Amino acid sequence: MSLRVLNPNAEVLNKSAALHMNINAAKGLQDVLKTNLGPKGTIKMLVGGAGDIKLTKDGNTLLKEMQIQNPTAIMIARTAVAQDDTSGDGTTSTVLFIGELMKQSERYIDEGMHPRVLVDGFEIAKRATLEFIEKFKTPVVMGETPDKEILKMVARTTLRTKLYEALADQLTDIVVNAVLCIRKPDDPIDLFMVEIMHMRHKFDVDTHLVEGLVLDHGSRHPDMKRRAENCYILTCNASLEYEKSEINAGFFYSNAEQREKMVAAERRQVDERVKKIIELKEKVCSSSDSNFVVINQKGIDPPSLDLLARTGIIALRRAKRRNMERLVLACGGEAVNSFDNLTPDCLGWAGLVYEHVLGEEKYTFVENVKNPHSCTILIKGPNDHTIAQIKDAVRDGLRSVKNTLDDEAVILGAGAFEVAARQHLVNNVKKSVQGRAQVGVEAFADALLVIPKTLAENSGLDTQDVIISLTTEHDRGNIVGLNHHTGEPIDPQMEGIFDNYSVKRQIINSGPVIASQLLLVDEVIRAGRNMRKPS
Amino acid sequence: MVCNRLVGQPINGRIIGGCRRAWSYLQKKEKEKPLSIINANIYKEDIVDKHQAPNPSPLYRLYHVPLERSIGGFRPILHIAEHLHRKLSFQTDIAESDERIEALEALGVLLLVDLEACCTAVYLKCVTLYLKDELLGLAEEPQGDPIFRSSWLDMDVLYRSGETPQGILTYCPRLISVGYQGTLGSLSSSDPLSYRTSQSDQSGIFTWSGNVTRHMAEPHKKNLFLQSLCEDENSNMDSTDHPFHENFHPQGQVSDKDRVECLQSGVNCWTDFCKVQYHPRSLYELHRSWTDDQKMDHYGNGVDVLSHSLHGEEMYERLRFFVEECDHIQGIQFIVDDSGGFSAIATGFLDDIVDEYVNTPVLLYAVRSPCAYVGGKSQKESFSRALHDAISFGRLSSHSKLMVPVGLPTLSKLSSALLIEDQKLFHSSAIYASAIHCASLPFRMKSPGPTAESVYTSGATDMSGMVQFLAGQGRQNMINILDLAMPVPPLTDQTNPSPILQSLCSLTPEIVEHDDDLHATEALNIYGSFSGGRRATVGEIEQHINDAYQNELRRPQFCHLSAASCPLPIPLPFPSIFSRRVGRRGELSECSLISGDQPRGSLDVESVPMAARLRSTSAVKPFIERRLWSLRRYGLERGAPGVELLRSWGFGREDVEDMEEALAASVAKLDPQAYASEEDLDSE
Repeated sequence: MSLRVLNPNAEVLNKSAALHMNINAAKGLQDVLKTNLGPKGTIKMLVGGAGDIKLTKDGNTLLKEMQIQNPTAIMIARTAVAQDDTSGDGTTSTVLFIGELMKQSERYIDEGMHPRVLVDGFEIAKRATLEFIEKFKTPVVMGETPDKEILKMVARTTLRTKLYEALADQLTDIVVNAVLCIRKPDDPIDLFMVEIMHMRHKFDVDTHLVEGLVLDHGSRHPDMKRRAENCYILTCNASLEYEKSEINAGFFYSNAEQREKMVAAERRQVDERVKKIIELKEKVCSSSDSNFVVINQKGIDPPSLDLLARTGIIALRRAKRRNMERLVLACGGEAVNSFDNLTPDCLGWAGLVYEHVLGEEKYTFVENVKNPHSCTILIKGPNDHTIAQIKDAVRDGLRSVKNTLDDEAVILGAGAFEVAARQHLVNNVKKSVQGRAQVGVEAFADALLVIPKTLAENSGLDTQDVIISLTTEHDRGNIVGLNHHTGEPIDPQMEGIFDNYSVKRQIINSGPVIASQLLLVDEVIRAGRNMRKPS
Repeated sequence: MVCNRLVGQPINGRIIGGCRRAWSYLQKKEKEKPLSIINANIYKEDIVDKHQAPNPSPLYRLYHVPLERSIGGFRPILHIAEHLHRKLSFQTDIAESDERIEALEALGVLLLVDLEACCTAVYLKCVTLYLKDELLGLAEEPQGDPIFRSSWLDMDVLYRSGETPQGILTYCPRLISVGYQGTLGSLSSSDPLSYRTSQSDQSGIFTWSGNVTRHMAEPHKKNLFLQSLCEDENSNMDSTDHPFHENFHPQGQVSDKDRVECLQSGVNCWTDFCKVQYHPRSLYELHRSWTDDQKMDHYGNGVDVLSHSLHGEEMYERLRFFVEECDHIQGIQFIVDDSGGFSAIATGFLDDIVDEYVNTPVLLYAVRSPCAYVGGKSQKESFSRALHDAISFGRLSSHSKLMVPVGLPTLSKLSSALLIEDQKLFHSSAIYASAIHCASLPFRMKSPGPTAESVYTSGATDMSGMVQFLAGQGRQNMINILDLAMPVPPLTDQTNPSPILQSLCSLTPEIVEHDDDLHATEALNIYGSFSGGRRATVGEIEQHINDAYQNELRRPQFCHLSAASCPLPIPLPFPSIFSRRVGRRGELSECSLISGDQPRGSLDVESVPMAARLRSTSAVKPFIERRLWSLRRYGLERGAPGVELLRSWGFGREDVEDMEEALAASVAKLDPQAYASEEDLDSE
């Protein structure tokens, strides 16, 4: 008799119970996210107990909002979120694909098939699909001036699944222009150089791209100009604040004059720094009608502000750290860390600097810059949840454009890839496989169809009809996707529906791995909490 | 110097934000109008308190998907629900002070930022805030004790004034509070200015033309206290035409007593007793995906939270927003519950702060609730706990200028005048908050000028002065002890020459009882104590302490005394923790004043005199030594069991060695011989 040493409170599930727990968890998660997929998906509105609203259609956001407790579901969710972290999209597809792999496997396992056999088949099918995707992808040459149309089509495909069409099309131009603006040949694209700023003001359609920067603060001195043209921009990270010495010291004085002197002496250091800025200003602005703007990452205290204001300099303090980098990219010049060696070369230039006040919030626009290599997407919307949703969508849009530039390839969308890959697996790969692993390949191939199926389902179409018409059309030698309005096959290339190559690749890569792991679990031991009850 | 946008009539006379109390204060300040009754008696109606251990209740049950495919009676559950639990988190409170640099007077406002972390911390902050609020309120009370009416406190140190997009004026604390998602109870993080849940009217969806599914969480029920706050707010809006209707209560049957009782019996969340209104940027929720509610008990958890997202940057941005408004930042007060993963989050945040605000002092309170000492007894748990304590202490202390560990395993023995239930977070946080409030008063005192003296206060200082005083001299020890006496006994006592000094008991755990350090420095704050049957004047208090120390055998090397004649006001949501010996004005009597065994709360006690003391002495040595020992024993020794664990928290061997060195150095500083011998060297 065997002896088991186990925490008496631990719960043990074995054999088929463990397996079915995994399968059910995967299917459960799939059910939750299924309705999100595609341009006809359902948007979810989450209302919290305190009345706060969250709108989302993004699998990633939704998964993060959910408190998932089933360990299997957590594994899947982590994979899906990792998918988003690496490639910026495809969270929902990952969850659907894993869920479908498990669902297909269940059919065979219930018939007595050993999971190991399926897993072997998955491995073969995965390799074959990854080879197929290399052949299937549409290469795009980027070069010096990328084809803007193709970038727009990719961005549009992503955005239309998140926002209504008119807004999505408007944002498409914005995100494509934004990424092209910060793109420098040979350098990797840093999306942080696109500032995303939001204002609770006007409507969602007022969202626009600012070629330059928008800072979320204004000058703190009443006499500084609210609007200035032809500005020299000094970007700095040096304190203009009086700082108390670390040593405790007292002042003793016997008359007002002495006191004045001491006050001046104490401030001398700060004042000298301010004077250096003023000198530079006098130098560069002497003849023309140009202005001078100081943007400091550190603080500027009121006496310094006052000195600057008196000479007509606009000064902003405590700028964002990232804005220091962005300012230099947008306006030119360099960020200075001390005022010792100020030269006109350090200065950037902007055609227009103005302040916009919304209630207590102030925004400073730095526009008409010399060489925009950084820009701001200014999101507007009537309420916070609208803004938040647009923000999420813009992030996804930016990622998709960046991915296209990095991949130099796109994949035909609207389910075309899945249908083609499935037919390839069934018609060619399966036949080359010996023995029972064929079943695994077939399960994998069928699981791929979950994407077109779900697209059809969300559009209110009959899934069987759609799949049959798609596969028939495909076997005639055409590459076809799903027209979600009519349910008829379409050519995604003609319609301009493109997905990211890296996203698809990542889904094919990670999905089977996690599904295989889950299928091979034959015992779950868990101490501390009852698995059968929700806590 | 400070642009003041507050001038002008509030639109529609609506007041939102800050505390109304604060509002009325402002109104007076700005317009020099006699205080209209608008807010006069709100304070008795609105406050309530809360306590009780975290009680997880779902915030929204998004999905609850039972999968029918059950096999053999096993029903797998995919439980996807947003959980409200109140493992709280941490807060930054940014205070702006009018503290002036001596030579530069007349310059604007200084700022002091306060950060807090974790459950205790948030509770605590909440209490601290309403204490401040209460003071404002009392200052406006026409019939009130004249002692409250003196404007010796400068609230702008901690509060900012602003306005909402609708043009409604606000007065909010400059604070960042970081907590887990779902810990805000009925407060909405995006619209914390409003007590009402009024978002349903703006639920229109403009961004999607397709289908919508709605998942509503069950709305949080508001307790009687919060309801009364809402009513106040609404009546403020309605009653612009006839402000004298303040005393009119639509549901007059709800009395203060009911409200106090409802708080006494059930506080689930700190927002249940919070009456302060926050700026929308103040409340920050950390999204934590799919982790166990209860599993936030060690350093590693927090490391995970920060490493996977932009949380760190976003928190820093919020801090920047408040700092940008301040002309001079006085300092940052950081309160963190260091008993769990929040110490890692706090460390990450402090990293940024130290980087960016180089000369800004950070005053760090590491707080823990009595519950934090109750834990598993297994060997694995105990060593991971010991390691956590060591690591979080080591990391946090390296990031602040002055650190005060606070949190006793039990508070019930603190004083015979207080009846505290350890398991109620609400009770312990009230004690700690009072102490921290009291210790921070010198930063907020208005000094009339460099040489003039105020009748009401003495000993105003700024944060950097205080930090310099405590941590920069003598032993240069930056780990301080917090002592509290509440209520303070009267100054005159025939049998006892120094009643105040003897009544102070430490809130810092694991220290030496009898402090015989000759090189100690301390900052003692005394508020509103009695002398005979009346309030002692500031001069009397000073004189008394002076005399008391003359009689003591062991005196600290330096003592900074700050005193005020104003006691600590007890607001309505303050928990009922006073014993029957405590009188209406906080005076202590020998026998019970009334019969019965009910503890006395805010309805019976209006104010208490209190004293708090920060001590920098060698008495704290065992506290540091224990952490040093656990670090060596579990993390560094050959075959130490915690090496793997430390690695998973992101500490390599070298990091641990560095930390060990730093801790050993701070222990060495406290060696009784160390400072003396150094002095000898100097004199040679």
